[in-house]
Amino acid sequence: MATEDARYRQTSQFQLWSFSPTQLSAMREKTNTAARTRIAERLASLPNSNNTSAPTSNANTPDPDGASTPALPVFLTAPEEAQLVTFFTSELLRAGDHAEMTDEIKATAAAFFRRFYVTNSIMTYPPQEMLIVALFFGCKAEGSFVSITDFVKTFGRDNPEEILAGEFLLCQGLRFAIDVKHPFRALRGALMELASLPDIDRARLGAAETRAREILRFSPLITDAYFHYTPSQIMMAALSLADRGLAERLITQTFHHIAPPTDSGADTPAADGGPLKESAPRSEDKAQIIGSVARDKVLGTIEACRDLLSRELPERREHWTNRAVIKAQITPLRKKLNKCRDPERWNLVELQRARREQAAKKSDSEDGDPDDRADKANNDNNSDAAVFGDALPRDPKRRRVLGEGQKGKGLDDPFGGPL
Amino acid sequence: MSRKPASALPTISTEDMCPVCKTIRYLNKDMEFLINPECYHSMCSNCVNRLFNDGPNQCPYAGCHRTLRRRGFRSAFFGDLSVEREVDIRRRVAAVFNQAEDDFETLRDFNNYLQMVEDLTFDLVSGSDAERRAAEATLQQWEAEHKADIERNRRAGKEADEQSRRRLAAEREAARQRRVEALREAEEEKLERVRNREAELDSLAQGQTGGVGGGGGAQRVQLKRRGHAAAARAVEAAVNTAASAAAASSAAADVGRLSIRGLKEKKKPPPPEGPYDPFGGMDFVPSRYKVHEGLTHPAIEKYKGDPGHVTGGYNFDEYTTRAMFEAFAGLGVFIEDEKEAGIGLSAGEVASMSAGIAAVGDRMEVD
Repeated sequence: MATEDARYRQTSQFQLWSFSPTQLSAMREKTNTAARTRIAERLASLPNSNNTSAPTSNANTPDPDGASTPALPVFLTAPEEAQLVTFFTSELLRAGDHAEMTDEIKATAAAFFRRFYVTNSIMTYPPQEMLIVALFFGCKAEGSFVSITDFVKTFGRDNPEEILAGEFLLCQGLRFAIDVKHPFRALRGALMELASLPDIDRARLGAAETRAREILRFSPLITDAYFHYTPSQIMMAALSLADRGLAERLITQTFHHIAPPTDSGADTPAADGGPLKESAPRSEDKAQIIGSVARDKVLGTIEACRDLLSRELPERREHWTNRAVIKAQITPLRKKLNKCRDPERWNLVELQRARREQAAKKSDSEDGDPDDRADKANNDNNSDAAVFGDALPRDPKRRRVLGEGQKGKGLDDPFGGPL
Repeated sequence: MSRKPASALPTISTEDMCPVCKTIRYLNKDMEFLINPECYHSMCSNCVNRLFNDGPNQCPYAGCHRTLRRRGFRSAFFGDLSVEREVDIRRRVAAVFNQAEDDFETLRDFNNYLQMVEDLTFDLVSGSDAERRAAEATLQQWEAEHKADIERNRRAGKEADEQSRRRLAAEREAARQRRVEALREAEEEKLERVRNREAELDSLAQGQTGGVGGGGGAQRVQLKRRGHAAAARAVEAAVNTAASAAAASSAAADVGRLSIRGLKEKKKPPPPEGPYDPFGGMDFVPSRYKVHEGLTHPAIEKYKGDPGHVTGGYNFDEYTTRAMFEAFAGLGVFIEDEKEAGIGLSAGEVASMSAGIAAVGDRMEVD
């Protein structure tokens, strides 16, 4: 196994946030189902408990039509959710451009945003808020620390609370995996390697880099490429989209090992003096790492990634801002979303306030009346949730899940209980 | 060092006459005979002073051509000089072959070793010339080859001696304490008895009945107390012996290590761990690319002359290394295959959904 791959396998990006397409769609499906069930319950319980639970009704006020309709709304399907997430990712990138953020920050924020909505439904938490939160947190994750007041001003808002309220939520959704590996620096590396070859035209390299970088800035972020491919594969695919010849040259150059008796004489570039001279004993290893079989497999993967990226080439930026398209595809979905959103979770500020209140109440009512105590006993079941201090927020969810334990796994959080 | 045959040793038949100057004890009450372990010829201290004060000189015995020094002379411990010589030799051999039984795999090996040492000693003491020379050579060779081990064993032996000495001292001290304690108790008992007796007398004087019974009660109390004290002492003694036994066994464990035939494998210290590796043995040598000279990029070229970067010690090679690593890291990681294979258990996916991070840990292991 190549040492580089071993090192990449150690990253949280690989361990926590890499999925095969089937897995990813299964997870989205699951998230969607869980969200439907919960929101349906909440909407159903709303009119009855309108007077009893203050925070819930407060949270609900901005959403009168959701509350007033007794019949359940039509929920978004998982593909529709994915499409909305993609749309909001493009919005996020636009917002990043507007705030003149670096490519890394925008990419990190986009990855955060998409990751968050793998395990959380877009019907549960408001995407427009979350994309700002993702941008703010992306800034921090990439080491550029802007003050929250400045940040808020950039986006023409006046209440920093709105952003801060979602921050911890986002972290939880990311499972605290905050390091995102990007292909930007990898592209530099690839070009360094290519530039060191004797017969490559500099102008061609420059053009390829510009184009590849442009692709990297948009295509992988707005697709699921970060989930399905490693940064270097994404980089190679982008390079291949920009200049196929260069990418293939680099691959053949890298996977140059020829198994002594079998392989046909694929051309070995002149520049590779060292590795070939090494002797036979490690030959099998080498064949695995840089042999032709590995090369073909890598080429196949890059080709697949290339296909994925080519669906969202940078030219499609306009597509996502095109009024006609939005009107035709996005607006109906958003209307639908407005009807089926989660009444308890939609307002992040309210949500956080309610959670804090609940937490405060919990710590106050150590020796409270029997009702409180019953409540507390319920909480104690999940006392491990208190690890991050904010134990209560999941509680309503959990109670509901416990209530219908038999219905089982579909209801469960995709990522399980609290850490 | 080779010695003259033992047969040449004189026996001091005439204890009172110096064989060199023929002085007799009658004339010199303080006459003292000295020998030199070079040849074990005895002579009186006057002769030694006379002959060797001015430096090394030949042995005055007829036919003995050893060169002796003043420093080598000492008085013999044994009357029989051949015994004296044998003891010297044995001491010397024992200092070199100083293995203990614990050093050997089996008792048989240890016995063989002792046999070998004894043969060698015998050759040295009373073998023929050739045998003695051979034995001497063996001894010297062994000594030269195993200097460090010998030294260690010697030190270990010394330590063990020291420990046993200390233990003995401690035991003596404890015995003394016990004696003092016993004395004190006896004293107390006596006092008690006197007091009881007085009390008894008082009660008799006051004409109370049952005084005798009360006296008996007092005695019983005293006996009981004595019993308690004895029990406490026994417990203490048991603890002490246990402690000393532990000390002894640890001392025995300390003595040891070395290798001859049948010698136990040296209890090896755990192999040196080397410096701490924070990366847990991860290999950082790239296997797909080489970071070679001439890797550069126009975008970093322009910073190479920039004081803001250069002065601060920014390392452009680091950047190159990192960029190259990122370009090739994970190129051969096929997420679709690996994650699917890792989940081959579709149940595993369910588990990961419901059990969160723990399940992910499982999945990683499968990967």
